[in-house]
Amino acid sequence: MISPRILVRTYLSPLVGTTAWFLQRVTGLLLLFYLLLHVETVHQLSAGPVAFDRAMAAFKNPLFRLLEIGLLGVVILHALNGIRIMVIDFGVATRHQKRLFWGLAVIAGALIFIAGAVPLFLHSVMGR
Amino acid sequence: MNKRIFINRSGGGGKRGWQNYALDCPPELTVLDALFVIQQRQDPTIAFRCSCRVGMCGTCGLQINGVPGLACKTRLADIGDKDVFLAPLPHFTVIRDLVVSLAVFFEQWRKVLPALRPRDPESKELAKIPAESTYARNTPGKRDCITCGLCFAACGILAMSKHYLGPAAINKALLRVLDPRDTAREERLDILNSSHDGVWRCHTQMNCVAVCPKGIDLTESIGLFKRRLLLKNGELES
Repeated sequence: MISPRILVRTYLSPLVGTTAWFLQRVTGLLLLFYLLLHVETVHQLSAGPVAFDRAMAAFKNPLFRLLEIGLLGVVILHALNGIRIMVIDFGVATRHQKRLFWGLAVIAGALIFIAGAVPLFLHSVMGR
Repeated sequence: MNKRIFINRSGGGGKRGWQNYALDCPPELTVLDALFVIQQRQDPTIAFRCSCRVGMCGTCGLQINGVPGLACKTRLADIGDKDVFLAPLPHFTVIRDLVVSLAVFFEQWRKVLPALRPRDPESKELAKIPAESTYARNTPGKRDCITCGLCFAACGILAMSKHYLGPAAINKALLRVLDPRDTAREERLDILNSSHDGVWRCHTQMNCVAVCPKGIDLTESIGLFKRRLLLKNGELES
């Protein structure tokens, strides 16, 4: 029986480029799901204000508030990693792609996320 | 320094699966040296390939802790962990243990018409390449490919599409397209423009640049072609 450690070492690439590529796909799919949900909710307006208010009421619970904060993280990561890929596509800093990923998409992304997520959490989840 | 070396063995009627070898060795030993020690002292049936032992020939490529690399250029001390996992390069057919066939790599290599097609094959005149020419400015460093296949093994796109030309073949095509003596420029550009296997299959993962033992900026070569093909009359300039 092959240990999970060996399987991870062999089949999960530790290369940063693959990790960034994989995250870009996953966050892209999550944003697509959000977009469909958003269009569906706005579409309720065609059924009148009562139907729209009912649809909006579903997003008032704390779970959706937390998911909203998660959405912020997904948007930031997807946007900053997208900028990194565009920069590299223009032939700039191809040799610094690892540093760009960690510096721009991860560290700068985390700082922007914290700056946005803390007020969001205090306002919409804690109600302050 | 104590190391445990796990080797993924298969093919050729030998042992199969992960085999574990314990090694007490000096830290300056390379992975290739360790393989020789294992073969000489513990298991003579283990198969691996090497030639120059100094990173010039590119024959000792294998997967070292999940990353393609040359066994002769990787020191055990640089790996850090106590355990070292060695497996054959992915995307290639395994002949036995750590030995793979590079046939699929050279099939793609041939597709880009790698040989020079001069205007006059009989000409005895030497080529004159001015230092300020596009060729001279864009090709230093890109001519060092040793066809080891590490970029091919590390490329995530080749894991999904066997038709993709791969970074090394595209880099070779760049050298030919930029060469002022060559006459098959448009033919090569058509091959590279293919949506099925051309440069558009590259998703800018840059694993090829990360593993190239010669430090060739392969993603830049692919990017140059992308920009040239988008801007129909654009120049291949970095």
